[in-house]
Amino acid sequence: MAVSVAPKAPAATAKVNRRSKGGGMAIAQRRAGLLFVTPYILFFLILQLAAFVFAIWVSFHHYDLLALDNPFVGLRNYARLTVNQDFLIAMRNTTEYAVVVVILQTIFALLLAVLLDSKIKGRNFFRSTWYTPSIASSVVISMIFLYVYHPTGLLNSILGLVGIHTTEAYLQSTTWALPAIMFLNIWTTAPTFMLMFLAALQDIPREIYEASAVDGASAVRKLFSITIPLLRPIIFLVVSLGIIGAFQIFDQAFIMTKGGPLKATLTVALLIYQNLFQDTGFVGVACAEAIVLGIIIFALTLISRRVIDTKIEY
Amino acid sequence: MSITGKTLEPELNTPIAVASMTGPRREQREKRESEDSTERVNRLEVVVRYALYIVITLFLFVPFVMTVLSSFKTSAEVIAFPPTILPSVWHPENYLNVLTQISGFPRMVFNSFFVTLMVVALNLFFDSLVGYAFARLEFPFKNTLFAVMIATMVIPGFVFIVPRYILLLNAHIVDTYFAFAVLYFLQPAYILLMTQFFKSIPRDLEEAAIVDGLGWFGIFWKIILPLARPALLATGILTFAGMWNNFLDWIIYMQSPTMQNIQLGLVSFRGQYQNQWNLIMAGSVLAILPILIVYVAGQRYFVRGIATTGMK
Repeated sequence: MAVSVAPKAPAATAKVNRRSKGGGMAIAQRRAGLLFVTPYILFFLILQLAAFVFAIWVSFHHYDLLALDNPFVGLRNYARLTVNQDFLIAMRNTTEYAVVVVILQTIFALLLAVLLDSKIKGRNFFRSTWYTPSIASSVVISMIFLYVYHPTGLLNSILGLVGIHTTEAYLQSTTWALPAIMFLNIWTTAPTFMLMFLAALQDIPREIYEASAVDGASAVRKLFSITIPLLRPIIFLVVSLGIIGAFQIFDQAFIMTKGGPLKATLTVALLIYQNLFQDTGFVGVACAEAIVLGIIIFALTLISRRVIDTKIEY
Repeated sequence: MSITGKTLEPELNTPIAVASMTGPRREQREKRESEDSTERVNRLEVVVRYALYIVITLFLFVPFVMTVLSSFKTSAEVIAFPPTILPSVWHPENYLNVLTQISGFPRMVFNSFFVTLMVVALNLFFDSLVGYAFARLEFPFKNTLFAVMIATMVIPGFVFIVPRYILLLNAHIVDTYFAFAVLYFLQPAYILLMTQFFKSIPRDLEEAAIVDGLGWFGIFWKIILPLARPALLATGILTFAGMWNNFLDWIIYMQSPTMQNIQLGLVSFRGQYQNQWNLIMAGSVLAILPILIVYVAGQRYFVRGIATTGMK
């Protein structure tokens, strides 16, 4: 891409030059503007719009990657989802996962940011170390937590130190596997959102806090009556990004548990992957699943905006 | 996604924040002579606060320390019970064994670096070019296009996976580096970041250049880009992080064993040798090292970029 576009650009410049000298400044600018955004227009038309329309088209067909003929099946792929046990299990797991993760990671991120947004020595050190979980890849984090959750791994070693002796294999347990993945994702995602909260906190004028200190407001009172209401837009943003990310949980479930044990960690994203690559003739179903997932995420984002907008009053 | 309405400031610490960090502590020292009761309460509060900070630091950082220490142990010692903290015997040769025992490891490192740097280069050019047009130039459908870009940023990526896969399959670029160039040559989040940055640059310089007869591309290339260093660094560093850490796209669009990146390589290695804990840990350290270096070197751009875009 770069190779093909870069050499063209100077030629375009020359053309623009001639025009602007001739007095056609506005025309030259329109041309340059359209030329400069062309890469985005192509991206939008092919990789987003066409891809989206094609996804809907595929979801109405019995689609096979190798078949020459893919018959139209109407809404059958969607109808199938309502009775497909795997999809229902995946939907329940994913929803449960997303609700817990979005709520806890938002609270934890806010707590971290509030702690960092104070007069404390070594603040930069704490910020840097606290952020570390967010720079590691999902694969590295998964590897680390495979060790943490091992029957004689880090978690059980630490529990042993405080007198709780257990050799629970968390990732092989239908009870613990999903919470274990929830925990590791809260642990990795909260520091990212911490940075967003921290930036927003630093924009709150100090005078507001000073005024409330004169009034004798406690730290907790300040948090709930000043900080949180003022952070409302950023809370919405963090919750939306959280919903979008959590409903698409794939990497950790794929790497650590492959959806097991007994489908306890089967997520919608994992099911889409399996339908696409492991089951033949399920591409249409995979598309239907992805579209349903997209609609759910979209709806929840809108609902969260409503809730966050109306619940807190100044 | 995300518009926090912020511009990218090169400095993270405002003078106010720095000043307020030293102020109260100095006061405290001066007051130390008079050991009154409020002073004791303050001290207790400081101790409790620091205890909390240290607990959180341990909570978020200890797994990494243990990973590094484990990478020098024997695989039996990693999961030994009762556990050890420091390796009883240090085995730095684990790192050499990663290179020899994970088949194709050098190729994976090359794939990771090549694709990451290629995508970074493409984004530095295209994100800033499009961002400049949105920030400064007047052209038909500009506002519509910009609104479309913001709106489509919230569409979850999984919706696009199947159609993009079929598209790339039919274009015969699945399993080639070119797939990443097509999918990631620009990223709307960073176009937005660049747009916001360009809006914060004063117009005077461009106006002078227009009078000089420098064309729009010349203005962008010679005048604007050199000023955009902080935003370019943020875009470059965040793109580097995103591509280096990418797992999902590699598992979907790349299929042959020679087309794995270091992340996928670690997963396949772990799939084959579940009990080689020391090598899995050493491989993880190697996989995190480049991104750690980039993070430490460009921390303030990294931090500002995330605060602005919410993207990692």
